[in-house]
Amino acid sequence: MQILKQLKLTTVAALALTTATIASAETIVLDVVAWKGNEAQPAGFPELLAKFEAENPDIDVELTYVARKDVDKLIPPRLQAGTPPDVTMVDPSLNKLWGDAGFLQDLGQDSEWYGNLKDSVKSILARGDEINIMPLEVIGMGNFVNMGILREHGIENPPLTLDEVVAVCKALEGTDINPMIFAGGFPAMLWVGANGMAVDGPARGEYSTGERKFVDDELFNASLNSVRTLVDEGCFDPKLQAGLDPWSTALEEFKSGRSAMLPQGAWNIGQFSRVEGLDFVFAPMPSVNSEVGMALDLVGPGWAIPRDSSQPEAAAKFIEFFTKEENLSVFLDAEGAYSPFVDAADVMPELAASYGAAREQDSLILWPFSTLEFSKTLQREWEESLTGFLLNLDEDNAETLQRWDDTVEDDL
Amino acid sequence: MRAKNSLYLFTVPALIVLAVFFVYPIYLTFDMSLTNFKGIGEAKDVGWRNYERIFTRSRYVDAVKITLIYTVLVVVLQNISALFFAAILHRMPLIRNFSRAALYTPAMMSFVVIGYVWQFLYSPINGGINVALRDLGLESFALNWLGDPNLALFAVAFVQIWMFTGFTAAIYLAGFAGLPSELEEAAILEGASSWQRFRYIEIPLLRPSITVAVMLTTIGTLRTFELPFILTRGGPDGATRVLSIEIIDNLFGQYKFGFASALSIVMLVLVLTVAFIQNKVLRDAEKVT
Repeated sequence: MQILKQLKLTTVAALALTTATIASAETIVLDVVAWKGNEAQPAGFPELLAKFEAENPDIDVELTYVARKDVDKLIPPRLQAGTPPDVTMVDPSLNKLWGDAGFLQDLGQDSEWYGNLKDSVKSILARGDEINIMPLEVIGMGNFVNMGILREHGIENPPLTLDEVVAVCKALEGTDINPMIFAGGFPAMLWVGANGMAVDGPARGEYSTGERKFVDDELFNASLNSVRTLVDEGCFDPKLQAGLDPWSTALEEFKSGRSAMLPQGAWNIGQFSRVEGLDFVFAPMPSVNSEVGMALDLVGPGWAIPRDSSQPEAAAKFIEFFTKEENLSVFLDAEGAYSPFVDAADVMPELAASYGAAREQDSLILWPFSTLEFSKTLQREWEESLTGFLLNLDEDNAETLQRWDDTVEDDL
Repeated sequence: MRAKNSLYLFTVPALIVLAVFFVYPIYLTFDMSLTNFKGIGEAKDVGWRNYERIFTRSRYVDAVKITLIYTVLVVVLQNISALFFAAILHRMPLIRNFSRAALYTPAMMSFVVIGYVWQFLYSPINGGINVALRDLGLESFALNWLGDPNLALFAVAFVQIWMFTGFTAAIYLAGFAGLPSELEEAAILEGASSWQRFRYIEIPLLRPSITVAVMLTTIGTLRTFELPFILTRGGPDGATRVLSIEIIDNLFGQYKFGFASALSIVMLVLVLTVAFIQNKVLRDAEKVT
């Protein structure tokens, strides 16, 4: 009897082992690399990957988190060695760099999802008759406004124009509240961009080809003058804030509740929302060129399949999964971003309503540094020269704008 | 003769390691510096264009100047403060070991941690330093430490000096430990003051330690990257943009691998030249004493 029982157990174990071996032999391991999906920025991936694996039991996704700054170091050697990940996250600049070098597969412009992409996004990401990236998001950049502070001072809506910003600064005059965080790098760029570009203004490409000069441009001259207005009206102390780190100190200042406004990206909505008692909204950038504020959209990352992917079919399924609205919306909701597809549902939180309203009214500009209309060297020059401008507002606008023209000329 | 030749054979492994891990990478970097390589794909030969660009744009010449100024500041002040602490601790054997460990602690910490801590301390709005100064009634001394281009380089240099004074002091303490005690005892018997002993006995005898400490500090500081990057990212408006920040920016910010390689070669030549001159001067000074 005992022998029979042992025989049964051995048979069951052997069968289970065989089944597991067969199953594992059939399971495809999909190597995915992304700079989202870690604990700090889960981006809905745990939920989405579980769903994908449930729908595709033969595919086991192995997601490797690689910080964006490390992608430049870790992935090119793999691409060149012919052992790339099966799917990798890319942004517009990597799409161009790796796509031009022939390391990304063409995902096909005849696909259904490509047909549904917004034209503005298509025009940025398509490379000739190829498309190497399935974009995941378009993310907003605008003005974080502490509504708790504003309401205390009788202002019920976030400022959308220069005059309204000045009114906020006036209302906060004499209090211990800092009206605005205007660090020399990114926040200053957002302000100058939102006030130097107009929806019906010159095409951004005209500047980057040297056809139009920044130094002679009325809009950009007016934009720099608007910064002087902010300073004159006591919105911020330029010498104090010029060197403020926009990626750490500036964010902490806003989170502390001691500052009323901060130009930054919507990717901060998540971390600001976790701060207890911080009553804020995400509004479009106040602008002299729009009554409803200027929404500045940045084309975010997407998925690409490397040329030498060992699992191209499973990779294609993975990408197809993210093109479905019910799946993509999970990612967008976690990110605080908009869909790159037409007629997609808006999953942005209510606190971004005014930003959404500006977009709906077409008061929207695709950030030219993300569309690659403006080069990375020009971006660096903007950041540095605007810091210099804040430190010496008496200097003529031409001193700053000429630096941008020189950089464009150098790039050419 | 045969024995002499076989002695040379023993250097072969070391020479192979040097050739494979030092000389060959430098050759590759130089080779890449003559191209427009973007880090991936084909590299196109551009001749000396990258070097021409470096020496005809004020931006890069300025980066070299800032690197040199920063190095002089750090090397001089760090060595003076380290020598000061080492001399004090040499005279206080009871607290020497504890103090040496305490001084050395910042050098053992991560650059990132130290960089971010000091960034918040230096913050102009509610930073620890300015808040403390205001609380002490020294409002006029509350400055924009990292935001003022005239001040930022000094502020960054201060953090580096604070971080590595202990490391340099340890070198000097080792030098002090090797001083012949009879000389010092004789000086004490002759009635030499503490300052006189330091100036006329210890300093001359510490020349070899000074050479080592100054050389190590100089080479380390010329190549410095972490603190200026974390604290200011080269700003405000390029005031702390040392050569290494420029290299990293071109490498991973702009994907100009060829150009960044040219900058690296310029930096290598700079470090070698400074180190060579410094070594010559310091060794000559050792011989004089």
